[in-house]
Amino acid sequence: MKQENIRNFSIIAHIDHGKSTLADRILEETGAVTERERKDQLLDNMDIERERGITIKLNAVQLNYNYKNEDYVLHLIDTPGHVDFTYEVSRSLAACEGALLVVDAAQGIEAQTLANLYQALDNNLKIIPVINKIDLPNADIEKVKNELINTVGFDEDEIILCSAKTGVGIKELIEAIIERIPAPKGNENEPLQALIFDSYFDSYRGIVTLLRIVNGKVKVGDKIKMLATNCVYDVVELGINNPEEKKVKELTTGEVGYLCASIKSINDVKVGDTITLANRPCKEPLAGYKPMKPMVFCGLFPVESSKFPELREALEKLKLNDASLEFEPETSQALGFGFRCGFLGLLHMEIIEERIEREFNIDLIATSPSVVYEVELTDKSIVMVDSPVKMPDRQRIQDIKEPYIRTNIFVPSNYIGPIMELCQNKRGNYVSMEYIDTTRVNIHYEIPLSEIVYDFFDKLKSYTKGYASFDYELIGYKSSNLVKMDILLNGEIVDALSLIVHKDFAYTRGKAIVENLRKLIPRQQFEIPVQAVIGTKAIARSDIKAVRKNVLAKCYGGDVSRKRKLLEKQKEGKKRMKMVGSVEVPQEAFLSVLSMDEE
Amino acid sequence: MASNEQIINETKTFINIETNICKSIYVHIPFCTNICSYCDFCKYFYNEKMVDDYLNALEKEINAKYKNEVIETIYVGGGTPTSLSYAQLSRLLDILKKINVDNLEYTVEINVENIDEDKIKLLSSYGVNRISIGVQTFNEKYLKLLNRKHNKEQVITAINMIKKYISNINIDLIYALPGQTLEELNKDIDEFIALDIPHISTYSLIIEEHTILNNNNVENIDEELDYEMYKLICKRLKEYDHYEISNFGKIKSRHNLTYWNNEHYYGFGLGASGYIDNIRYTNTRSLNNYINGKYIIEEEELDFNETIENLFILGFRKTNGINIDDTLNKYHINILDIDIVKELIKEKKLLVENNNLKINKDYIYTSNDILTNFLGGNYERYIQE
Repeated sequence: MKQENIRNFSIIAHIDHGKSTLADRILEETGAVTERERKDQLLDNMDIERERGITIKLNAVQLNYNYKNEDYVLHLIDTPGHVDFTYEVSRSLAACEGALLVVDAAQGIEAQTLANLYQALDNNLKIIPVINKIDLPNADIEKVKNELINTVGFDEDEIILCSAKTGVGIKELIEAIIERIPAPKGNENEPLQALIFDSYFDSYRGIVTLLRIVNGKVKVGDKIKMLATNCVYDVVELGINNPEEKKVKELTTGEVGYLCASIKSINDVKVGDTITLANRPCKEPLAGYKPMKPMVFCGLFPVESSKFPELREALEKLKLNDASLEFEPETSQALGFGFRCGFLGLLHMEIIEERIEREFNIDLIATSPSVVYEVELTDKSIVMVDSPVKMPDRQRIQDIKEPYIRTNIFVPSNYIGPIMELCQNKRGNYVSMEYIDTTRVNIHYEIPLSEIVYDFFDKLKSYTKGYASFDYELIGYKSSNLVKMDILLNGEIVDALSLIVHKDFAYTRGKAIVENLRKLIPRQQFEIPVQAVIGTKAIARSDIKAVRKNVLAKCYGGDVSRKRKLLEKQKEGKKRMKMVGSVEVPQEAFLSVLSMDEE
Repeated sequence: MASNEQIINETKTFINIETNICKSIYVHIPFCTNICSYCDFCKYFYNEKMVDDYLNALEKEINAKYKNEVIETIYVGGGTPTSLSYAQLSRLLDILKKINVDNLEYTVEINVENIDEDKIKLLSSYGVNRISIGVQTFNEKYLKLLNRKHNKEQVITAINMIKKYISNINIDLIYALPGQTLEELNKDIDEFIALDIPHISTYSLIIEEHTILNNNNVENIDEELDYEMYKLICKRLKEYDHYEISNFGKIKSRHNLTYWNNEHYYGFGLGASGYIDNIRYTNTRSLNNYINGKYIIEEEELDFNETIENLFILGFRKTNGINIDDTLNKYHINILDIDIVKELIKEKKLLVENNNLKINKDYIYTSNDILTNFLGGNYERYIQE
């Protein structure tokens, strides 16, 4: 394929704005799949992706299209839409020359769309604005057009109108991709430089890397070298996805495909690394990526402690194509052996937990999430603390700083009041507000990240009946009057329940947690005091009364089997709890700090 | 030394010989003229033809299963056995007359609203010597909630009449009724004591699924109050032997002791359960299947471990607990050897008294916590040669 006939692009869109459907339609239009093979959301392979209607991992497919008697090869690199996956987005954008900015004709621009768009602009990508779902009865094309023109600065004639559902405008869109997005630069006679933008583990072929050839070419049988790790391998298989895998003999400049080289160790492959030829190496690695730093941490513990090695293996496999996932072993007095894991955000955390439980079949107990605190000690040294348990003694602490974020909250203007109330409750400082059009605003607050980590998303949804979209960027650390709060069960500190709170909110939060635990922990043989303490000072207390009655009822006509089944059910229920000291605690209790009402 | 397998086989044979003696029969009469709001047991509305068919089927089942053992207790329960007409009741008693008996305790459950002197005379003439009455409460408010059709006066009149023929009477009393106060319960106990009868079974109301109460979203009372009520009952019934969690008697129920002693018994009739030849079985609840001779819906042969498991689950219902020597004779294990028993004795949850192992009375109302420890245990390893 001639290099000037290659186009690499990705799609940027908010959740539900129809990105996956649009991708499906493009695949169909280019003949990559026939109507018959069509199932919804071809690119979303994972069950979780289809169920949640989101894209988590990236995918790359090759499409062929004849335009004005020329054959073109288009590589569509799918991107996740959620803010937590900004890193994944940056990876796919780095492998592209252009991007489609897809906006729902009824919803307009959303917070997350903008964040990804700015990243694409940073990468010098050619952007094609697309208004999708124009067939909807409540589509307001003129309004959305104005948003694109006013907030982003597109020209009206750049905007493509289409409906992925009906197929209107799809042909025009594909032709715009060919016309407007530049062909990849690079020289196929130069030494090989290929960017690894993703990888995954395949039980038959070892590690499969997805790559974009920036310069030179690679053939089956070539000896390749990873620049960062200096490992050398023989190329066993090369191929493209269209969207089924199709083997090829070589990949050349501008192309996107996959490579297998019997790589067994996940440590040898780093996403963002450059692959070159061992006998004719390139001089410099490609820019690669700046790995994103995890912002949210929590402890993950197997319910069955014997599954600790399996949990390690699961995390290692997930990290293979998710460099942002961090983990290190952690021991909790309450929960035993597990891992302290770092995530990009809450959704990322949820997804990882869900994948471990589903794909690796390990039941987990997750402790409540924490952010990373910057603690200045009295001796002026600084320590970063990603877990309340690791917080130094109060006497040694000079100052605690916590990460703050700046919000973009897109919301209809009649919800400004509730949003402000919410942000105020979350210790937010008002910054500014812009009108996107006459009915929608973008509200900026500075809020501690730790407050977002609690129940901000849920609250935001309920405060605005689901009309708000939300995105944030980290703006740095600020001093806060923070204290460590411990939770005592039956007089003993449960390390997995400790948390860092703002002093002004400690009392209400302590009360809520204690009350929540009282409800969640079943009555036991003895009365159990539940206390929230700061240092040695108790700020809230509630007692779980001793179980008074737990006895089999009347044995109608000697029906003994039924009684035994009842007891067996009780025994099963007990098994799912963790013994913390002398108290049996159900899994949910460890996340109870998350789901509390602050009434 | 004999191999484990040998020991087990020998033990099994041993149990077969020793515990296979079946001395009890339960007969279920699944008909009612009125459905109580808390009942989730097997019952049908009374229908003359249906009852006739049922009695024929019951006779067939007894003929098919009963192996002429000498029976010492018969319990006819329901449903409402006295919902049957006089003629049908005679027919039932005739069927049961063919059973070989000795020193018989013969109980029939009755309901105040469909009993009269003729029926009592009839029962008495067939040797029925124990009557169990579902009184539940004397309080009109709660009788209505439970959908019972009698009142206090009817109960008193009925009992006085029954006493002329049969003196061994039990009443069932339900407490922890939604809205009930300690004072109201106290009054119910007063009424019971005034009746001067030898036995009472008290159960706190459990709102089971598939009951009218459950369908009406009625909720259980607070656990603390329930417990206070239990304590009140125990205190007020000091004159009676509190011999089982829910039973107080000057004369014990020998039939119910069969269950709690983990002994074999026949269960005849729709939805009845039995325990014969180490098999615990439950009969079908489908009248159609039953009449067509498809009696059993579920059966499970118990191995040694399960047998001992049941010994504990059932035996610990008795306040005197489980007799250590009897267990040694019958199953060849000394229950005091069992690790979990030792542990629970150390925790003072179990006590040894007069050669009996029993639950400390402080824990009897929360005994499930103790009983779950005995599920799935390996008791074979304690078998003595």
